[in-house]
Amino acid sequence: MNCNYNRKISLKHNLHAKYLLRFLDALPSSLISCDTTRMTIAYFAISGLDVLNALDIIGEERRQNIIQWIYSLQVVNDDELVSGFQGSSTVNTIHNRNQNAQYKWSHLAGTYCGLCSLVILGDDLSKVNRKAITRSLKTLQLPNGCYTGAKDGTENDMRFLFIAASISYLLNDWSGMDIEKSVSFVKDSISYDYGIGQGPELEAHGGSTYCAVATLALCNRLHSLTDAQLAGLRRWLLNRQIDGFQGRPNKPVDTCYSFWIGAALKILGAFELTDFEQNRNYVMSTQNDVIGGFSKWVDSMSDPLHTYMGLAGLSLIGENGLREVVPTLNITFRAYEHLKFVQKQWL
Amino acid sequence: MGDSSSDEENHWVFYRDRPEWKDVEPVPQDDGDVGVVSIRYTDKFKDVYDYFRAVLKSSEKSDRALELTKDAAALNPANYTVWQYRRDILKTLSKDLHEELEYSRCIIEENPKNYQVWHHRRVLVEWLKDASKELYLTELILSQDAKNYHAWQHRQWAIKTFNLFDGELNFVDQLLQDDIRNNSAWNQRYFVINNTTGFTEEVLKQEIEYTLDKIRIAKENESAWNFLRGLLLHDKGGLSKNKMVTEFCEELYASGNRSPFLLALLVDMCDEQVSLGGGDSKYTLERAQELCKVLSTEYDKIRAKYWEHMASVIQKKADGTYEPTAHNSSFSADES
Repeated sequence: MNCNYNRKISLKHNLHAKYLLRFLDALPSSLISCDTTRMTIAYFAISGLDVLNALDIIGEERRQNIIQWIYSLQVVNDDELVSGFQGSSTVNTIHNRNQNAQYKWSHLAGTYCGLCSLVILGDDLSKVNRKAITRSLKTLQLPNGCYTGAKDGTENDMRFLFIAASISYLLNDWSGMDIEKSVSFVKDSISYDYGIGQGPELEAHGGSTYCAVATLALCNRLHSLTDAQLAGLRRWLLNRQIDGFQGRPNKPVDTCYSFWIGAALKILGAFELTDFEQNRNYVMSTQNDVIGGFSKWVDSMSDPLHTYMGLAGLSLIGENGLREVVPTLNITFRAYEHLKFVQKQWL
Repeated sequence: MGDSSSDEENHWVFYRDRPEWKDVEPVPQDDGDVGVVSIRYTDKFKDVYDYFRAVLKSSEKSDRALELTKDAAALNPANYTVWQYRRDILKTLSKDLHEELEYSRCIIEENPKNYQVWHHRRVLVEWLKDASKELYLTELILSQDAKNYHAWQHRQWAIKTFNLFDGELNFVDQLLQDDIRNNSAWNQRYFVINNTTGFTEEVLKQEIEYTLDKIRIAKENESAWNFLRGLLLHDKGGLSKNKMVTEFCEELYASGNRSPFLLALLVDMCDEQVSLGGGDSKYTLERAQELCKVLSTEYDKIRAKYWEHMASVIQKKADGTYEPTAHNSSFSADES
């Protein structure tokens, strides 16, 4: 561990907590393009507050309300096999409240973020229809092993494979996934430079490499990679460090890759080989110390994604006052312990 | 109505004020009893989406509903339900998909990094079984951002599905002339060769020459060095037996160049020879140790710990005591 950090810039815990709390309440109309992914924003805010060890500021009543809101987006529909959580209430109306309707479909990102948020908030998942979710999940896996995001109308790539693995892990039920097929999809997506793309033959990318590595770890299949693939993968990931991390060779560094690359390295047991001090210095240079939050680059606007990934990235290097994040699931160890407790009740 | 996003706000007529929509009752969004991450919608947004929900509810598939989805998509091009419903209408009304293709081009140009609009495009091309405009479209988008992942993904899909490999290497070459560090273009080069000629001995030789020429121009360009390593995956002799490559590296080293990518490749050549047990006297344990040392202290300091680690790995390989890291990952499926 490198202990000689430049500690001049300190992390503004309270400011970030307030920043995230604001998003949990409302988004400005400038973020209208997040209208279908509000569950994801909620997850960034909730998990971010957990990393900051500041979940308490949500307050008990509000916590209950958020849990209620998340459950209001659960779809149980075994006829169309579209069960899970919606990303938002965009197509919900008083006419289809608590009942199924055309296009009222879950989306994998909504399901993953909804389940993570419930776990973080201490819910016991007793109202989650686990069987219905895995039954629907199973229908989203394609012949090549990848997953699409929803029943129809969405693309398919490594992100959704990771999410499918996470959902299976969270629900402790792998009947929604053919693990062999998932492993082949990951292996087919390894590039000539040993990084991993969003799919076969696509350019290796930090985000998709994280998704692929985390998927293998969640399925307990890291050993399916050869020694050469593992060594090459570690090298590719380590080479992404410039000061902070970049997502691809010859691209600018970006705060979120301190998590994507950092977590992938952590899973592969090579995170200690990175330069913590330079990593920290970069992430801290993107901290907004007026309104709070982190941005991808220095002097640009902070946003919920980069705020969360910045905090999660800092947690990996043991930043003071932050709860460490489980690199595979992207929730804190505290939340992970709660998950294990909840899962025990299902046995 | 056309493209409402460019309309001036004061020319905008709310759907609720349009006589041709008089017969439709707008349907408000139901966000449950408590709002979380509530969006402060504009009046226009609310109006359009209230009518969109009304149309969804009644399953109306009409020309006016098609126009409505255009407005809804303009307000939030990331709404996949809007696009899905639009496609359902297009199908039901047997609309001219070439016209739709043209519209999708405009939307992609405005939102080149949006997943949903690229997906819409792909479905249209699949329906039409006509990818004649895809190379032009992606070229256009790549001319603004030569590393746009969506554009490359779409382009690869179109090329592979419709066998459009002709001329693609020239396109890649042009992009590499514009920016020799464009990693996406290097990846595309690999993609084309892999799907056309394959890496025959002759192709391998040509490609190595091509890559070495590019490295001569920019010696610290990771993309070209990675491509070179990728090529050597197809060399039966491995990393360290290709004469063209070893001679090039030795000359470059002798000339005083200390690109970390050159030194890293030399380390791996030593690693290979040490692991295989004997071989070329140039690639020894001692040399690997020396290279790792200068990499960690001078030429690639940010990865100092990695190079120290590599030095000890190669030492262990030489001693015959090396065991690859075992993977007993926690947080995995079998654990609980």
